[in-house]
Amino acid sequence: MGNDGARNIVKINKGPVVRTNDGTYKLALPKDHCEVLTHLITELRDSLLTTTDDSSLRRLFPTAYHNDVKKDAEYQRLMREELLASRLASIETALEVIGASNELSESEIDAFARSINSLRLVIGTTLDIAESDYGDLNIESQQSNSPETEPHEEKLIQSELYDYLGWLLEWTVGAQSEGL
Amino acid sequence: MARASVQPSQVLDPDVDDATKSDKPWIVIVWNDPINLMSYVTFVFQKLFGYSLEKATELMLDVHHKGRAVVSNGSRERAEFDVYRLHEHGLWATMEHETL
Repeated sequence: MGNDGARNIVKINKGPVVRTNDGTYKLALPKDHCEVLTHLITELRDSLLTTTDDSSLRRLFPTAYHNDVKKDAEYQRLMREELLASRLASIETALEVIGASNELSESEIDAFARSINSLRLVIGTTLDIAESDYGDLNIESQQSNSPETEPHEEKLIQSELYDYLGWLLEWTVGAQSEGL
Repeated sequence: MARASVQPSQVLDPDVDDATKSDKPWIVIVWNDPINLMSYVTFVFQKLFGYSLEKATELMLDVHHKGRAVVSNGSRERAEFDVYRLHEHGLWATMEHETL
């Protein structure tokens, strides 16, 4: 399981997600962060609308019956579309609230958190994150050994996005936990 | 008052068929994965099952250290519902018959 997502990030003084006294939430992200998040979440939505069978999306549609293939096939037949619809609904809400100046409801911040986590699952799968990677994705040390600079840079960017999403999710969960 | 006597009796071990299996409760298991944050998993356990922070943290640590934890049990329908909600939150959850 992943550790503290904020580990490699220099925290700004005030968190980007705050729970107010009346139980709503304030999401305060710089404009460039909003643009990046909107871009990433839109890409995820478009991928999901195209296919759910891409290997990078497999963590979003897990097995339900790990020791019964027939039952799992039946479960997937009945529930996969519903799970897809739920993910898409969360994504639409997340796209609406990113950059919004108004306060967010419990269900809106929940949809935002689940969408950030979905993104993290997809990027983490693409990066082939393993338990031992925490604190050191070792991307930089791989650079000198790899003749393919461009793919390496792409991986470095994805690694930074992965860390950023962990940091953002950590703050979001922290704010949500105050409401439990 | 006479103490009730308890005597051993022979119990035949029946073949476990589907009818017998259907009487057993189902358990919902969350598996360890390297991506989900520990804080997020704890929060999801609290939110979905109403567990205290202590209980949710204990389950999360079981997932982290032992590779899996049973987070709920009940009928097949109940287990499928819990698995679905855990999947909605991005956790790796499966279900199986309880084996005792």
